[in-house]
Amino acid sequence: MTRMLLTGNGAAAWGARLAGIEYLPAFPITPQTEIIETIAKWIDFGELDCRMTTLDSEHSMITAAGGAAVTGVRVFTATSSQGLLYAMEMLYTTAGWRAPFVLVNVSRGLASPITLEPDHNDILAARDSGFLQLHCATCQEVLDGILLAYRMAEDGRVRLPVIVNLDGFYLSFTREPVEVPAAAAVARFLPPFDAQNLGFRAGAPLSEAVAVLGGSPYSYFRYQHHLAALNAEAVFEESAVAFARCFGRSYQAVEAYRCDDAELVFVMLGSFATKAKAAVDCLREAGQAVGLLRPLLLRPFPAAALRRALAGKQGVAVIDQNLSPGKGGVLYTELASALYGQADSNPMLVSFIGGLGGRDISAEEFYEMAAVTRRAAAEGQAPEPRLLYAEAELCEIKKWQAIAQVQRAKEGQP
Amino acid sequence: MSETRFQTMKDLPSCHLLGTGTALCAGCGGLEALHEIYDILGEKTVVVNAAGCMTLLAVYPFTPFRGSWLYTAMASAPAGAQGVRDALDILLAKGRLTAEEDLQTVVLTGDGAAYGMGLSATSGAIERGLDFLYLCYDNEGYGNTGQQYSGATPHGARTATSKGPCGYPGYKKDLFAIWAAHRPAYVATVVGAEPLDLARKIEQAKNRQGPRLILSLAPCPTGWDFDPSETAQIGRLAVQTGVWPLKEYRDGQVVHTKVPQKRLPVEDYLKRQGRFAHLFQPQRNEALLQEIQARIDAYWDNLQS
Amino acid sequence: MYRIRFHGRGGQGMKTASRILGTAFFNEGFEVQDAPRYGAERRGAPIFAYVRAARRAIYERGVIRHPDLVIVADETLVAMPAAAVLQGVDAHCVVLIHSREPAPVWQHRLNLAGPVVILPLAEEREDRLALRQIGTACAAAAARLVGVVAWTALEQALRDELAALGDALVEANLGPARRVYDFLSPQQGCVAPGPVVAAEGYVRPDWVELAFEDARVSAPAIHAALTSEQVQTGQWRTLRPVIDCARCKGCWWVCSTFCPDGAIQVDESGRPRIDYAHCKGCMVCAAQCPHHAIEAIPEQDAPPAEDERGAK
Repeated sequence: MTRMLLTGNGAAAWGARLAGIEYLPAFPITPQTEIIETIAKWIDFGELDCRMTTLDSEHSMITAAGGAAVTGVRVFTATSSQGLLYAMEMLYTTAGWRAPFVLVNVSRGLASPITLEPDHNDILAARDSGFLQLHCATCQEVLDGILLAYRMAEDGRVRLPVIVNLDGFYLSFTREPVEVPAAAAVARFLPPFDAQNLGFRAGAPLSEAVAVLGGSPYSYFRYQHHLAALNAEAVFEESAVAFARCFGRSYQAVEAYRCDDAELVFVMLGSFATKAKAAVDCLREAGQAVGLLRPLLLRPFPAAALRRALAGKQGVAVIDQNLSPGKGGVLYTELASALYGQADSNPMLVSFIGGLGGRDISAEEFYEMAAVTRRAAAEGQAPEPRLLYAEAELCEIKKWQAIAQVQRAKEGQP
Repeated sequence: MSETRFQTMKDLPSCHLLGTGTALCAGCGGLEALHEIYDILGEKTVVVNAAGCMTLLAVYPFTPFRGSWLYTAMASAPAGAQGVRDALDILLAKGRLTAEEDLQTVVLTGDGAAYGMGLSATSGAIERGLDFLYLCYDNEGYGNTGQQYSGATPHGARTATSKGPCGYPGYKKDLFAIWAAHRPAYVATVVGAEPLDLARKIEQAKNRQGPRLILSLAPCPTGWDFDPSETAQIGRLAVQTGVWPLKEYRDGQVVHTKVPQKRLPVEDYLKRQGRFAHLFQPQRNEALLQEIQARIDAYWDNLQS
Repeated sequence: MYRIRFHGRGGQGMKTASRILGTAFFNEGFEVQDAPRYGAERRGAPIFAYVRAARRAIYERGVIRHPDLVIVADETLVAMPAAAVLQGVDAHCVVLIHSREPAPVWQHRLNLAGPVVILPLAEEREDRLALRQIGTACAAAAARLVGVVAWTALEQALRDELAALGDALVEANLGPARRVYDFLSPQQGCVAPGPVVAAEGYVRPDWVELAFEDARVSAPAIHAALTSEQVQTGQWRTLRPVIDCARCKGCWWVCSTFCPDGAIQVDESGRPRIDYAHCKGCMVCAAQCPHHAIEAIPEQDAPPAEDERGAK
């Protein structure tokens, strides 16, 4: 095992390398590109026995990934943002093929307006695609998550593709110390791809991904897909135990930080959750019983673990780095549906929108969310979902609007 | 043609490999071509299919294939073929697949995918030198959805989205030329109604490596509005009138494989199809008929000069 | 509420029939639903369309499970399981069959408890698909049997729905429609609106807990070759190609090569043999045979084919 400084993209490349990937269909997009560049270099210099093909689009890339996976090789690929959306048809399609492979998504806000910096609208758009989803908070988790993802994807109880998500910039381009396990240890944790009955071979006719007519067979196949996705939670837990044995690092479907005696809990995904940890520490120092829950696994949704961890809490601040226009935060909706209708007394849920398009979430913002949530719990009434936005930010926007001469448009001048 | 095993009609396959019982329309010109092609390609194939009429070849749990098939999506069948071919190559290289178990990778798409949505994926596959055979059944419109016009629709044809008195105002895209401009290993046009020409070309394609693309006219009784029994006749008329030039691109050259010695007037082809009925009724659209004829004449005149 | 199902073949105008009847009901002031059922079915394949009509808002949707009237445009569909003509037909339901045979024969053959009405089949037709008026005749029959649609409402519906096809075709359809409407006047009103499935005392389906199955089993993949041959596309056929062995010269198997479906095999002696279980009846073979050795025979006039008997 070696400890080295790696970016999130570097950690993703190492995860793929250690997983012994055999095929990399690729397409460049910021902020993911460094991953395929890194792997391409290893291939070119003979450090990795893998075939790489750059396709004409992400749609083609995911098609090729699924095609290769159902032909029986271990496949890895990566994209971001617009690329994930461009591939969306094939996310649903290849998941329906039950093609086991791993896709890294480096989260980036979606157009329009187009931006390079991260939020989670891209990955959450793939929420219902049938891919499993792991959301990483550190560069270490990116590497480890890829190894765990292959265990889940290839398990006979699951056999589904998995997306490992990391935030652009905050992880993708940020170096952190990462423990890179020895290849031999990884080989014990993740044996070579067992293709089961996957594969096209002369003498073994196989018609894959055929059409169905009627809702009854369609329902059967789709529901089986759902049951397989549900199985992935137990497979994740088992794999995490094996992982801890091999590498000494433990993972849970939901990471809990200072939650046991907390009255208020932040719930959020991804790398900004470490900022929430810092805020929790400061709030604790100020005498407030606050904790953090971070789902590492979003699909399957670890509903039972979240229910257990939140039972008896006074208030929960759900921080969504995404926005479903006309509704609000996606994670909030997911969590509310998991908590509603349970016998235990449920905490007050408050929804916040933050960190869109790479916007920072400051310590003060976390403190404000804690205060608002505490107040809501006391009053028994949750406020409407809210974007915390500072006056200084709005002043800046007003200056830009002056430069953009938006008043001309308002006054109807050409 | 001394290199071919198809010297005369008697050399054509008399027993067929593609299974019966598919949901394609009675008299389907695309299926006619496909079954002739499959006879020659054989079962050591994996057919990667794009959305189109032929999506319905395999409907769970029924498949007409002796070999394999993978259904992808409208735009990306060549990319699916890339993934499958790459994976087969990896398995071969690693000894997890024997040469005897290897398969030819075949893409099967309609004109909607080939001329439009799938063109980028096709171009990419050719530029990467993918070792595959691409087969487009061209029924000159989005047939599976009721024959709306596509980039393959001929000038003047009535479609579900061009019902006006002059039919489709655009012109059929020259996909053969677009493909050939990529300088792939092989490109050919075929039609099921000329089975000997078709067999020789598929044989050519089969024996080459790299990107090989076949564009098959697919007379469509449902979309073109003619009696299903006339499928072969209309396909043959397309050749005899010069509407559908039979040609191939090989070794950098375009060669016409069946030049009609005395071209029949294009009317003979048009008037048998309901999609061109408005050119003749209620009165003849002489200008449009002449324009269509002139374009065909110009094509063949250019060839001679 | 009236619930009416039309069964025919792709190309026989069942969608048109449902639209004409739907519009006719609408003209009479009814709330209406009409819809065709689209699948992978093609010309000649069994298809159906349906109409609901009521004096108040219609909340039901989709396929009619318990029809009050079933109209069978093509009698050969009745014996075809895939056509599901008799699905949900009970003693209350009227079955109208376009047939040469009388009602008691059908009643006995199908063991029907409810009434059967016959719309006589014209003798002179060759290809059942060729007659475009079947759809309008079926709509007219349904209008008369429910008894609440006046000729004026039906005629207007027919004119509206067929307008796009031109005046000549409208006029060509009006006559036969009127004749059917008049012919069935003795049965006017024999169809009565049926009851709904009661919320009390209903028969509980045998629900199962859908358990997880391994992807090796539960992915939409077929691990076999040629399973499509289990699909009897020969049932689409309305015309049958029959080879006259005396005239067949055993050429270079033109018929077999051009048959789009590959449904003509050539034996060792070079003679073609038609696979009637799968021949869709396109007649490309008959059109292409250089010696005119293949004849087209209307399916209802042909004896049961050997292949089909074996396959059924």
